This record gives sequence, structure tokens and C-alpha cells, in this order.
Amino acid sequence: MQKCKLRGKILSTRTVNMDNSKTLNLNVRKDFPILSKKILEKKDLIYFDTAASAQKPNTVINETNDFYKNHYSNVSRGVHTLSVESTFRYEDARKKVQKFLNARSENEIIFTKSATEGINLVAQTFYEKFMQKGDEVILSLIEHHSNLIPWFFLRDKYGVVLKFANIQPSGEIDIDHFDSLFTNKTKIVSLTHLSNVFGTELNEKAISICKDKNVPILLDGCQSAAHLKTDVQKLGCDFFVFSGHKTYGPAGIGVLYGTENLLSEMPPYQGGGGMIGDVSLEGASYAELPAKYEAGTPPLVEAHGLGIAIDYMNKIGLDNIIAHENEITKYAFNKLNEIDFIEIHGGDNKRNSIISFNIKNVHSHEVSSFLDVEGIAIRAGHHCCQPLMKHLGVNSTARLSFGVYNSLEEVDKFVIALHKCKEFFNK
Amino acid sequence: MNDLINDLYQEIILDHGREPRNYGECDPHNKSADGHNPLCGDNLKLTFFLNDQNIIEDIKFTGEGCAISLASASLMTEKLKGKKIEVAEEIFKDFTNLISGKDEDLKVLNEEDSLYALKGVGGFPMRVKCATMAWHAFNQALKD
Repeated sequence: MQKCKLRGKILSTRTVNMDNSKTLNLNVRKDFPILSKKILEKKDLIYFDTAASAQKPNTVINETNDFYKNHYSNVSRGVHTLSVESTFRYEDARKKVQKFLNARSENEIIFTKSATEGINLVAQTFYEKFMQKGDEVILSLIEHHSNLIPWFFLRDKYGVVLKFANIQPSGEIDIDHFDSLFTNKTKIVSLTHLSNVFGTELNEKAISICKDKNVPILLDGCQSAAHLKTDVQKLGCDFFVFSGHKTYGPAGIGVLYGTENLLSEMPPYQGGGGMIGDVSLEGASYAELPAKYEAGTPPLVEAHGLGIAIDYMNKIGLDNIIAHENEITKYAFNKLNEIDFIEIHGGDNKRNSIISFNIKNVHSHEVSSFLDVEGIAIRAGHHCCQPLMKHLGVNSTARLSFGVYNSLEEVDKFVIALHKCKEFFNK
Repeated sequence: MNDLINDLYQEIILDHGREPRNYGECDPHNKSADGHNPLCGDNLKLTFFLNDQNIIEDIKFTGEGCAISLASASLMTEKLKGKKIEVAEEIFKDFTNLISGKDEDLKVLNEEDSLYALKGVGGFPMRVKCATMAWHAFNQALKD
């Protein structure tokens, strides 16, 4: 009797757990209108390209609409009602981002048009204040082009030396090699927080090495912001960038977090309205943080949309989102790992929401086009990581990436389609 | 199987993608150009020998890429070999029209041509660049 009860209890607990996971999934899917789209008029959309850009929930779509319909004007300019309403929304979004990243102050949150712009801003202004010809920047082989080219500019224009940390077969940075790259000329380090190819998280040792050597570090959080919990104070990074569109918000808005010390010392990036203190024909003084770095009319509606996207993630709970994505990622990894014609890039270590792979002897373009007509969206190509592709010895890879709206059932459908794909191209 | 996929990957495309013809470098050659698709990283090098009567005596390519880009380069070299340059230019124009769905405007190509197999690429706008990479390299080589 007791045994039965116990068994019954265990079973029911299990069922409840499964239901929870399913409920989370089902309720969330209803929030994303695009998921009811039929691809080529008949196939259900399976969206496995969140790492390129995430889909938008109804709240983000409706709230940005509402901003234009009912509250829109320029920010921080006029004194009329609409200007007040717009400014309130824009600055409220900044508060939400501050809490989301656990920054010390709103002054540390700069709105940009993209994560890319954030990295360019740091590269240019940090160089201007703290660097000269011959100084060194440390990057790594797994960086995407956004975290390479802004630094290439410094190399080409000013003679800055760039050094690249190697990666291990697991897809992680080789920490010993990274450590060996430092010299007394190393002025700044810039690394991805979560690899957009391997889905591997940065080893926190890399940050502590920078702290020990007193070298500022920028973390590229494009992939991590919506898929890991970010606490910039705990992480101990000096700069952190991410984009709105990869975190369920609009495109055209990005965030740069920087410590108030550094942001205060670095010069403004662009000149224009909004970033000034006082202007005469002889010169100008500059605004305090954060306005100092926000020249021109900012993407105010997009910033509000990002704030709403953060509300959305908070409502579901970032922990729940991460647990859900981890479950799917692990499930997909195990499924793919069982298939002999699939080659997974990176090791068996933990991945967050991203898996890169190839079907042996089939180009990733073929895989992506084939899956497309099955309604499945994946990324194929070099993922803006050409140096890494060269290192891996491949021309391109196919990439699966997951978001809050994906399900295990979708992975099963994907695996069936992969087998069909392999059969088709090897017939 | 889906019609779109069968149209895109006709047997001749898969065949030329797996075993590209005229793969290598022309020796000697007097024209060459590199093709590159920055969006995906596919690339090729095209070389050919244009004789004093303006005839493409030999034409070859090397490169790496998807089945569509390799097959397109392979079929292109087969089609252009032995052609006068004026004719080759007409074929280039026809091919561009063919894959952008304007096949009613064709002057020298017809449905019997093996190049017609690439018409299905038009159904996949993001793949058009794969099919035109070799042709743009050819056009570039003529200009240089």
C-alpha cells in the first residue's frame, strides 16, 4: 500500500514536472504571432535561428505600436506632454536594462544602435584616451566579425598590435595561451561571453586574469544576454555589449555597459545634439553620462521595445528560460550525436542554446535550403566568423539555435528532416 | 519529395556538384578572376585562354562551395568552352535573366540547354548568388 502510494507520488510528481515544462512551452508559443505562419503555405514554422535574431512577442509588437500611436515625440528636447511621455519611456527602458545587467547606476548604460556600435565606440574612444602606437589588444579566434573589425581599424589606422588567443577542440579559449599573450603593452581585452558558433560560455578565469593584470575587459554579450544570467558586477567586466534584437526586442537598439570610471574618462564618440553641455561658435562642453555618448535622436521606440522585452523575459523568469533551453539543447545534442553522418563542432562540454554541425559531404547551404522547404529555419554559412571557420578547416557550418519558444517535438521533426536530407543528397 | 527541392536539385546539378567538370587551372591562360560570396565564404578562381580569334579555347575553375555554386561553375565552363567572346557575353545575359525568372527574354539559351537546370534557383532568392558567382567572375575577367 505504502509502496503504491510512494510510486503514485513519484509518478505524479514526474507528470507535474513534465506538464510544467509543456505548459511553459505552450503558453509561450502563443505569445509569438509569427509561429503560426505557414512556410511555403503548408509547413509549420520551426524557428531554430534565434542566435541570428530572436522572434518578437506580442507585448513588444503591441507596445512599440502603442508608443507611435499615443506617446511619440522626440526625447529630452521639448517640454510638452508628448516629449515628457517619450522621455519617460526611454529613460524607464534604461532603468530596466540597468537592473537586467545589475549595473551600479543608470549612468553606466549607453543606448547604441547595435552591439557592434558599442564595440566600435569602445575601440575608438578607449584608444583615444588610453592607447598609442604599438600598444596591444587581446582577442580570440572565436570572435565574430563585430568583435574583430573594430579592432582591425585600430591596427590599420594607428599601428595597434592585435593578439589572438587560441581555442581548444572543445571550443573554449585556451586559458594558458591567453595568459601568455599579456605584456606591459596590453591595454584592453575583448572576448565573446558566449560563442555564436559553439554555444560555449567564456571561462571566467579569463576575466580574473584580466583583473589580476589590471587590464580592462569587454565582454561581447550578443549571445549571452538572453541565454545566461548576466550580472556585470559579479562578472567583473569593464564593458559589456548586447543587442535588442537577439533578446526578443526590436532591431536598431543596442546596449553598451561601461564602468562609470572608464566612461567618464573616455572622450565622446560622435558629436551632435543631445550630447552637449553648452555650445558657442568657439566650442562646446559635453553632457554628463549617459547622454555624453548618445549624440542625435536615439532609437527611442526601439529602446522602449527592449525594455518591454526585458519585462517579458522577467515575467517568464530567466531561470525558467535557461532551464528550458538547456533541456532542448541537451536533447538535440544527444540526438545529433547518435547520428553517424553528423559532425558536431566543439566538444561534449555544456552548450547554451547553440549547436554547430555539418552533414558529412553535404554543404551547409544544401542542408539549409532542404530544411527550409520543410519549414525549418536554421543558419548556414560562416556565421560572421571566417577566421574560426578557417581554423576548423571548414568552409561553413549549419547552426541550430534555440529560444524560449522551441520544443523537444520540434527537435524530433528536425532530426527526421535531417535523415531525409542526407538520403536526398546521397542518392 | 517537395517539388521546389526537386527543381533546385535536378540530377544534373547534383552530378556536377559532386564531380565538377573542367576543375583545375588553365595552362597557359591569359584571363583570370576570383569569385567570392562574402555572405557565406564560398569562393572560386576562374582561368581561361582567349585566342587571337577571340575564342575561349580553354576554361577551368577551382574553388570550394555548395552544390549550386560548383555545378553552376562546372556547367558554365562546359557551355563557354569554344565560344566566341560575343556569344559568351550573350549567354551571360541570358543566364542572368533565366535565374531571375525572365526566361521569356532569352536570345541564345533554350530549354534543351543544360544551363536550364539552374532555373529552379529562382525559387530560392538567397541562393541566386551561389549560382551567379562563377558568372560574375567570368564577367570580371573580361573587364580586367
